[in-house]
Order: sequence, then structure tokens, then C-alpha cells
Amino acid sequence: MNGTSIFTKILFCALGVMLLPCVLTTGFAQNVVANLYWAPENVTVSGKQIDGLLNFIFWLTFVAFVATQSVYIYYLVKYRRRPGVKAHYSHGNNSLEIIWTSIPTVIFLALAIVSNRVWFDIHSDPPVDALKVNISSYQYGWDMRYAGADGQLGRIDVDQIGLNNKFGLGQTDGTAADDFTAMELVIPANRPVHIYLNSRDVIHSFYVPQFRLYQDAVPGRTITWVWFEVMRPGNFELACSQLCGVGHYNMKAPIRVLPPEEFDKWYAEKSQAALEAKDGPPGVSPTVAELTEAPIGPDSQANPLIP
Amino acid sequence: MSATTAEVVHHDPSHNHPKQGFIRKYLWTYDHKMIGLQYLWTALFFLFLGGGLALLVRYQLAWPNTPVPFIGWMLPATVASDGAIIPGGYNMLVTMHATVMVFFVIMPLLIGAFGNFLIPLQIGAGDMAFPLLNELSYWLYVISGFVLLAAFFVPGGAPGTGWTAYAPLSAEAAYNGTRIGQSLWGVAIFINGLSSIAGATNYITTIVNMRCPGMSMFRMPLTVWSLFITAILLVIAVPVLSAAAAMLFADLNFGTSFFKPAGGGQPLLWQHLFWFFGHPEVYIMILPAMGLSSEIISTFSRKPIFGYKAMVWAMVAIGFLGFVVWGHHMFVSGMNLTLSAAFSISTMFIAVPSAIKTFNWMGTVWRGSIEFTTAMCFALSFVSMFVIGGLSGIFMASTPVDLFVHHTYFIVAHIHYVLFGGSLFAVFGGIYFWFPKMFGRMLDETLGKIHFFVTFIFFNLAFFPMHNLGLGGMMRRISDPPIYEHLRQLQPLNQLSTIGAMGLGFATFIFIWNIVKSLSKAPDAPANPWHSNTLEWTVPSPPGHGNFPKTPRVYHGAYEYSVPGMEKDYLPQTEEAPAHVRLDSH
Repeated sequence: MNGTSIFTKILFCALGVMLLPCVLTTGFAQNVVANLYWAPENVTVSGKQIDGLLNFIFWLTFVAFVATQSVYIYYLVKYRRRPGVKAHYSHGNNSLEIIWTSIPTVIFLALAIVSNRVWFDIHSDPPVDALKVNISSYQYGWDMRYAGADGQLGRIDVDQIGLNNKFGLGQTDGTAADDFTAMELVIPANRPVHIYLNSRDVIHSFYVPQFRLYQDAVPGRTITWVWFEVMRPGNFELACSQLCGVGHYNMKAPIRVLPPEEFDKWYAEKSQAALEAKDGPPGVSPTVAELTEAPIGPDSQANPLIP
Repeated sequence: MSATTAEVVHHDPSHNHPKQGFIRKYLWTYDHKMIGLQYLWTALFFLFLGGGLALLVRYQLAWPNTPVPFIGWMLPATVASDGAIIPGGYNMLVTMHATVMVFFVIMPLLIGAFGNFLIPLQIGAGDMAFPLLNELSYWLYVISGFVLLAAFFVPGGAPGTGWTAYAPLSAEAAYNGTRIGQSLWGVAIFINGLSSIAGATNYITTIVNMRCPGMSMFRMPLTVWSLFITAILLVIAVPVLSAAAAMLFADLNFGTSFFKPAGGGQPLLWQHLFWFFGHPEVYIMILPAMGLSSEIISTFSRKPIFGYKAMVWAMVAIGFLGFVVWGHHMFVSGMNLTLSAAFSISTMFIAVPSAIKTFNWMGTVWRGSIEFTTAMCFALSFVSMFVIGGLSGIFMASTPVDLFVHHTYFIVAHIHYVLFGGSLFAVFGGIYFWFPKMFGRMLDETLGKIHFFVTFIFFNLAFFPMHNLGLGGMMRRISDPPIYEHLRQLQPLNQLSTIGAMGLGFATFIFIWNIVKSLSKAPDAPANPWHSNTLEWTVPSPPGHGNFPKTPRVYHGAYEYSVPGMEKDYLPQTEEAPAHVRLDSH
């Protein structure tokens, strides 16, 4: 049929048009971010492993896609209807079934094993010299808490977390006395950072694309296994990537990655200020209770729904 | 009971029926064909609605905080202010779009419409085992739709917690601000679940008990197999969601604490329950699409399905494995890390049966005599789009890569390649293929081709860039991407995607025009326009009441095309092969 062959041609033109945006996007992307995927530059050590795996899977799937689709399209062209040509009568081939069952099985199993090795590598125990930061998320923002002069984060008691105790600090725990807080995440480059992740209300998530890192913060729990090492100083944004309510779209906090010396200076100043405030004249000394009760985040203003 | 029902409806269709009133014919009918069409029209209405919601979402993402042209003034105050979508309203649109598309479009189209219409016809039965239950399940679906849409008009507005409704956001009115809307969502999901369970029970009973003589399980068309396995998945998975929805309702309204940590509840319990349903659900929405496409591809390749039994066993494997992969939605949810690794392995395994099916479709077109009808074009591109959706799934199945792409637009691209490029393309193919049987009229092939090309091109334009948006770090469910530094440079991609979505909206009108045009002409469809083998093509288009004048007898499988030594290139299941011809199937 004549009409059929015209539509056949249009079909293949359409396939070409389908590939066009992909080609254009990748072409444009080369100029913008110097990588195939438009992904922001990775800055963490573990991110390098993730990018390696991502690249591997990209090429694996790319080859699989091109191979299957070119054979498929070749068949569609070659075996289009022609007058007098009858289709081949075949109900299948068991050897082929075994081959195309076992090859993907082996590939996928290998991929799962490789992936899980990286997964456990990324989630190995945090190094002992890691900087400890407690991040407490809420509708709609982030509070950070640092260990202060003693290098010990006050113990988190999730049952105590509430509007009056944003970090869930045990009132008798001395290690919390010199802790200091911030509304931006300031961390050193080239040193592991260990995050203790909490939520005060609903599920939020810690997401920084440049860190290749995502982790949900679950209310009622402390997530303790997230740690990473940033390889260079820079400014980034911490974003919430788990739908958490009306203000979710704008739940972000600045991240400043400083050179180690600069970070140490910032940390020492902050610790000193915290200590001075603590040892100062009576009345201005922030006890643990005051530290924890201070309205650090603007949640009561930001979220009219919280009574 | 089933046997009696079968006998009752197996009367002679030529016998003079009293003329039915409008209500008995179109609104309260026990005829599976009309119930299938009720599902079809209702679901197409919801498709139009869900597509409109999607366009609003896309408009906001491309041109944030600007008034929506034409329809901005119509939006309720909870969604837009001065015609521009507000952040809370954006969350509502996203939530309602996904809920409508999953529960009120894809499932009713594949399972309600094609399931009801095709199962009795393809197995040689006069009707479903339980016709009353069948009609009840349709009306439960309609009621659940009204309950869901009512959420837009209650104080506080529609739910804005995503179709996944993660607790405790969804479980605590103080956090979501939409107690009534969220409660209605739970009620709608519950009633919709009753509808699904009723329908699925009916399908299983019908397929097991009411196959005509000679129709052994391994002679059933793949469509029936896919719907059979889907029905089993529904019966197991949906009650879990219904229970979860009931618990959510109690948390919201009766002060219970199933999911709220303050009262000793567990937020992750919701996710486990939801995804225990949610992952089989993904296969519930793709298996029937695979069945429909297999049917179309075999018919227009004039070739038997390559590896029929491998196709069946692959679907059975998907059905089993579908219940042990739900944790891959939760790798980074705070779930135990070793459990994540285990779910990652089972997830990799479930890719295997999908690969098997793809290879068998390729084997089916190999050395065929392929005719590119509109139905065939949709079915063939179903395979390609499903391959893209399947391959992009591998990225997320790899746990470390999921750390990067989880909850970004990469997953949005993935789900749309599977559910739109996959399920919905197969639905379109199915409509072009079975429309003559349903309405006795052929759809216009030229308009059909235009509809196909416009859909195909704009679909890829809308959804392919989302892969890059996701890898570029764009989070899901944020109403204003440019407020993030790293997303500003990606804004052209968002606009490109929105233009694609608008093209898809335009394509819908071509489709509607085609349907209206066809229905307004005189019936012209022969009984078997595509020279296909299955039983529905042996009776007139549309089939009379009771389907078959007398119970058909089946002699062989459904895919005997181009049998050597035969003049015509097809052999209906009701025809015995000539004595000199040897069939490879049994």
C-alpha cells in the first residue's frame, strides 16, 4: 500500500526529531556546565565515586538503548509490508530466550554488587576527626549546631525536641553548655564532616546536588550515618527535597565551605563568644535552657499553621 | 453462580430485545461491554482534567508567578491569587494531577475499560461472572472521583502533600493546613480501592471459570493473561493501601498516632505500607499495556508472538518480584542501609523480565510483514518509550546514584516515560485498534497518524529534558525553581519542557476531533477489520447482547499468523487448521 510507505518515512523522520532535543541539549550543555548531563560540578570525595558509577551506567544504558533501538528500527524498515511478501512463521526460539535472559541477569547482578560496595563505602563509619554538626530541620528552614570548644556535641534526645528545645538537648548534659548555633552551614574544605540530622515536625531532606547527597530527616529520629568531605571552598545552597508543606519550595540555607585555616578561625571565634557569654556576668549567661529556648529559626512566624 | 450467569446471558442475541431506556442502557447496565465504555468515557474525562492540571503545573515551572493566561481567573483562591499560582496551590495541583492520573485515568482505562470490554469477548464468555458487582465497581469509581474533586472546593482546599502523601505531613492538620481536603483524599482512595478490589475479583473469577471450550490457559491472548496477573496483584496490593488510607484518616480526624512520632507512631510505617502497594501498582499500570501492545504488534506484523510462553512467564515473574522491591523507593528515607542494599538487588532482578519482553517484541517484528497503522505506531513506540523508562530506572536502582538523583526531575522523567510513553501510548494504540469493535466505526487513519506524530514528538520534547533537569539538581515539587542559584541556568529546559506539554495538550484535541468525527458517521466497521485472530473479531462490530450467538469453540492459540501452506495470513481461534497444515502452537 502506497500510503503505508509514506507514513513509514514519516515515522523515521519522527524518530530523528525525537533524538534532536537530546543532541541539542547535550551540545548546549557542553558550553554551560562542561559535562554531558548538565549536572553541577561535584565537590565531594564520595561524589567522585557516584559520578563514576553514574557515568558507567550512562554508557551501559546508552549502548543498550542504541543497540536495541537500531536493530528494532532496522527491522521495522526492512520488514515493512511489501506486496507478495509473506511474514515468516515462527513462534520463538528457546535458545535465544535463554541467552537474553541470562545476559541481562549477569549484568544487572554485577551492577547491584558494584553499586552496593560503593554504597557501603560511602556509609562507612565516619572518621574520628570529622567535624560534627547537628542539623535540625523544620517548616521551613534549618538550624545548625556546632560542638563548641570541647569538641563534644551535646547529646540529642529526640523525645525532647520541640518548639522550646529545638535540638532536643538533655538539660543535665554538660557537653551542650558550650555548643553554638548558626543559621548557615559553615564547614571546612578537605576535612570530613559528620552530620546529625533531625526534624522537628515533618519529613525534610538534606539535599545538595554538588555534594551528590540526599538524606531524609525523619521526625522522632536522629540520622547519624551521613558524612562527607568537600574538596574545595565555595558557596552552595542546602535545599529541602522532600515535599514538606506550603513553604517547601523556598526551604533553603546557605552553605559556606571555607579553607581549613579560615574555618578554624571562624570556629574559634564562635566558640569563644559562646564561652564568654556563658562565663559572663550573671544574668547574661545563656544556660543550656536559654540556648535551646532561643528562637533560632523563624518557624512560628514562617508557619502560621503551628499553634 | 458464575456458571448460571454464563448460561443466562448466553442466549441468542438475534432474539428481539425490548428497547432499553437511556438509564438501563447507559447508566445502570449489566453488560460488560457498556460498563467498559462507561469506564472509557469517564477515564477520558479525567485524562482531560489531569492533563489540564499538568499544564498548570508546567506553566508555573516555566514562567513562575506570572498570571496563567485564559484560565487563571477561574482558579480557586486556594490555588491562585490574581491568576498566578501560589506555592500552596502549586502543591495542590501536583498532588491532584498525580492522584487523578494514577487512580482515575491509567488504572480505569487499562483495567476498567479494556479489562471489562475485552476479557469476556476474548475468552468466549457471554459476560463477566458477576455483572452486578461489575456495575457497582464502576459507580464506586465515579463516587470516589466526585469525592476527590470535591477537595478543591472545601475550606483549606485540596491536599498538597503529593500523591504519596508522606506522613506526618499528611497526618497532622497543623502541618498541612488541609485537614478536610486530605481526609477527602483518603476517603477517595479508600472507595477507589473498593472499586478495584471488586473489579479484580470479578476478572479472576471470570478468567478461571468462564473460558469457552478449548480455551486453555496457554491459548489465552496475552491481553487476558496480563489482565489476569494484574487482577491478582490488585487483590493483594490494594487492601494494603486502603488500610493505610483508613489509618491516615484516623490520624487526621480521631487523634490516633499511627504515623505521628509524638504519639509513638512511625513516619516510615506510612512509606512501607504505601510502597508495598505502590510498587506492585507500577506493574498494575504497565502489565495490561504490555498485553494490549503485544496483541497489536502481532496482528500488524502478521506474525505469531515471539516466545508466547516466555512472555507469560515474564509477566508472572514481574508479578512476584513486584512485591519484593518496594524498598527501592526508600533507599534514602532513613531506612536501614543494609535493607536498601537488599532491595537494590531485587530491583535489578526485576529488570530482567522487562528485558525479556522487549527482546520478544523485537523478535515479533523480525521477518514480519509490518503495516504501520495508527494503532501499530502507538504500540511500536510503546516499546521504545518503555525501553527508555526502563533503562532510566537502572540509575535509581543503583543505590549510590540514587543518593544523587533521588527526588529530582530524573524520577519525574522516568515515571512519565513509563506511564505516559508506556501505559498511555498503549491505551491510545488500544483505542485505535478496538474502537471499531466498541462502536462499529473506524477511526480516521490520517487524523490518527497526525495525532500519533504530534503526541510522539511533543511527548519526548516535554519529558526528555526532565532527565537533564534532574541531573542538574532540580528537586521535585518545588513551585519556583529559579530561586535556587544552581537551577537558574536550567530555566530554558523548563520552558522547553512546558512547550512540549502544551503540544501534548493540543494533540488531545486532534484525538477528540477524530472520535467525534467517527461517532457522527454511519457504522462502517466490518467484524474483523484488522484480520486478527482473537474471538472478539469473530462477532459483529459492535457485538450484540450476550456476545456470541452460540458458545464458541477454540482450536489453537491466538497468534497463528502467516501459517505456511494457507492462502490467508491469519487463522481465527475458532477455525480449525486445514488438515495439511501443521501449527507450531498447541
